[in-house]
Amino acid sequence: MSAHTYSAASGLQHEEPLLFEHAHEAATSISLPGIDADTTHLKDFERRNEAKIPGLSEPEAVRHFVRLSQWNHGIETGFYPLGSCTMKYNPRVNEQVVRLPGLAHAHPDQPQDSLQGLLALLHELQTWLGEISGLPHVTLQPAAGAHGELAGMMMIRAYHDARGDVKRRKVLVPDSAHGTNPASAVLAGLHTVEIKSAANGRIDLAALKANLDDETAALMLTNPNTTGMFESDIREICELVHQAGGLVYGDGANLNALVGIARPGDMGIDCLHINVHKTFSTPHGGGGPGAGPVAVNDLLAPFLPVPRIEKHEDNYQIVHTGEQSIGAVFGSIGQTGVLLRATAYIAAFGRNHLHKIAEDAVLNANYVLARLKEAYHVPFPGLCKHECLLTDAYQERHGVKTLDIAKRLIDLGMHPMTVYFPLIVHGAMLIEPTETEAKETLDSFCDAMLEIAAQCETGDTSELHDAPRRPIRRRMDETQAARSPVLVWPQD
Amino acid sequence: MRFLPHTEHDRKSMLDTIGMRDMRDLFADIPSEFHLPEGSLQLPDALCEADIVRKFTKAAERNRHAGNTRCFLGGGTYHHFVPAVVDYVISRGEFLTAYTPYQPEIAQGTLQTLFEFQTMVARLLNMEVANASMYDAATAVAEAALMSKRITRKSRTVIAASVNPRYREVTRNYLSQQQGETVEVSCNGFTTDISALIDAIDDQTACVIVQYPDFYGSLYDLSPLREACDANKCLMVVAFSDASAFGLIEPPGSFGADIVCGSGQALGIPMGFGGPHIGLFACRQKHVRQMPGRLCGMTQDSDDKRGFVLTLSTREQHIRREKATSNICSNQGLMCTANACYMTLMGDAGLKQIARRSAAALQQLISALPTHVLAAAGTHYNETVLSFADTNTRDGFLNTARERDIFAGIPLEHIERGSDANHLLVATTEMIGEQDVADYLAALEATR
Repeated sequence: MSAHTYSAASGLQHEEPLLFEHAHEAATSISLPGIDADTTHLKDFERRNEAKIPGLSEPEAVRHFVRLSQWNHGIETGFYPLGSCTMKYNPRVNEQVVRLPGLAHAHPDQPQDSLQGLLALLHELQTWLGEISGLPHVTLQPAAGAHGELAGMMMIRAYHDARGDVKRRKVLVPDSAHGTNPASAVLAGLHTVEIKSAANGRIDLAALKANLDDETAALMLTNPNTTGMFESDIREICELVHQAGGLVYGDGANLNALVGIARPGDMGIDCLHINVHKTFSTPHGGGGPGAGPVAVNDLLAPFLPVPRIEKHEDNYQIVHTGEQSIGAVFGSIGQTGVLLRATAYIAAFGRNHLHKIAEDAVLNANYVLARLKEAYHVPFPGLCKHECLLTDAYQERHGVKTLDIAKRLIDLGMHPMTVYFPLIVHGAMLIEPTETEAKETLDSFCDAMLEIAAQCETGDTSELHDAPRRPIRRRMDETQAARSPVLVWPQD
Repeated sequence: MRFLPHTEHDRKSMLDTIGMRDMRDLFADIPSEFHLPEGSLQLPDALCEADIVRKFTKAAERNRHAGNTRCFLGGGTYHHFVPAVVDYVISRGEFLTAYTPYQPEIAQGTLQTLFEFQTMVARLLNMEVANASMYDAATAVAEAALMSKRITRKSRTVIAASVNPRYREVTRNYLSQQQGETVEVSCNGFTTDISALIDAIDDQTACVIVQYPDFYGSLYDLSPLREACDANKCLMVVAFSDASAFGLIEPPGSFGADIVCGSGQALGIPMGFGGPHIGLFACRQKHVRQMPGRLCGMTQDSDDKRGFVLTLSTREQHIRREKATSNICSNQGLMCTANACYMTLMGDAGLKQIARRSAAALQQLISALPTHVLAAAGTHYNETVLSFADTNTRDGFLNTARERDIFAGIPLEHIERGSDANHLLVATTEMIGEQDVADYLAALEATR
């Protein structure tokens, strides 16, 4: 058994009050630039009451937020095998380069000839994402994966409408899909029909056929799907949808399994969003920002959002109009700082190394699966891609559930896997190690999982039900939080 | 490859455990017709770290930026000062490299920060609750319009033409996917025409959307709008683009707004060529179950210690799927941390000073304009429209100013398509000093 590191148990743990509980009067720690003149002309419009934003001096503010940061587990702190989230190492050099003043302090409405360096980098990313996905036309505008889905579904709807095929409003969504898929389709004014998965966790071709008709706008497909399995019938799936007059939308959340190995565009996917905060390693930031560029084939190219970046000889231009464009879905050209980090990540791998991302990601998932498949129930046996799916079926016999296993992992020094997703499997545990984890880390995770499974067999499971014991807080009362929500600190 | 820890020996031994010989066997389930020959993608060869730095430095140095010019550009993005502490805090790996806080026991840092953020946003806007962010101001306005339709079960949306054209376009594009009419109410001059808006509201109207200060920086009396909304049972939605205003200016919540949404970029986030910024979104407590986006709530752990969790997730896509209030999943989490840290450093007094200085710079500029340039009438916060005799005069000035390292304004028609090409949208912040204003005025004189 290898040594564990404990995520929240090293060094001192400080309790840190809320800002609003710091006792003394508000202080302002900033010395400000600019013009300190009167603004009597605004007198009629001034606030009557203070906002009660509690100021802290700079040393106090730093300590407050550093202490809070220490209550977090991040990818830099330890293993983070969240399935479908691709929590890989975020290179520090990417943080450095996006802070260069010529990038960080550029205004979106500067004259375009003063932005050529920036536009060149973004245009390069557009081109690279087109090449990597096999779908040559790219918008960088969507702010996140779900936002890319919305843009994609709006384009697909516009495509059908432009052909006068206005009754195509039905979107087929496998029951294993991410929740964003149906939500995005509905936001684009479409309605969804759920397709039941086959017993092997993949698309049921018969169920697909039965639901395809002349009202079908699209199939939304995640490949590899959320059980970690590749849809090997992909060619036939795409052909069936196309024959029925529909298009195939690819949810690129799982692109890490394919990058540099195979291209969704070559398989018949018409439209794909790419979560650069997953595949191309831009940091998740505790929830965002991400970016969800969308790559499309020639059919959908006329409908791409604007503004877009185009290259004319050696000059880069921001183009604001497109006759059939769905228009803007975001207030600027995109989440530039996020996109630039992705550019740097792809540049670091390049033509010669890019496929190694998928290779090591898939190797790591299959290695974890190989080590755990005796101790845990594997609902869909066989080769997996970048993530592997287990369930708590064996442990449940001893009264131990997925949630207990997840919380016990916290005590053993790592972030839990994704739990209870995909919904098609009871007690799902979806494990995505990513390519940036060493064998030693994978082994300590597998050892921890095996230890938990062994503990279940002994019958002494109190350590599991009580978990987590080590972090600064224990299991939270989420029912109370939702029943009478307290979302802001009350005014004094 | 420096981000990949395995040695060839590791790979071999792991393949052995799996029962495979070759890395390519890992992809046996992908039909062979789709396998790319190794190295066949049209991408440049890998760059080492030093060459990445060189590449980006070279590109960055081709740009002008607010650091080596005097930036009078606004239109939704503002060059306010960002204290070093803000960037330090959001660079900490524990904040930077964490996921959405689904496991609250090991994400209390993010969660408490979100709770503080929500509280400060609500207080700044004088609203009851705020969520944990939208992508940007434009999508926040669009979501506010959709939320209003859910709450009122009415289908018509009224939006003032003095709302930032980019917010309007995104809102129009979101709404055009749904049933219902969207009506734009034009404005008179560079301000908001409240009486025309009031006339446009009817009993089928779900919400009326205005911006305050409006797209032209204009301040006006919001209070008549509340009465008109009450009379027609429609919601009052107020957008904003520079949150720094509310350190000094009475916020929309004080006028009874139902939803207030806009950009938090001014609060500690660099302009970054348009992103990542943040959409702030606040509403009344009674509407919280129709709100889009993540919410952080206070609760207790099993030892009765106070803690925080993501809550009301039955609104969200991962639970409700096609019935969710929004499709949003990833948001602008780290930017919440930036906003929270910024507001903590400033406090009420600092925020007021930022607003005063931002407004004072504009006042100093427009009070000394030469006679051939007209500033928009009315009271403006830190943004206004300057009008020239014609396009040539304006563009001549822009060029002269640029030679003097001044980005003097945004040609209005670049954002407000179709407007006359003799206007400049001009914004100031605390980053504009006396000398910058003097140089701006001198450039105007020089192109008389």
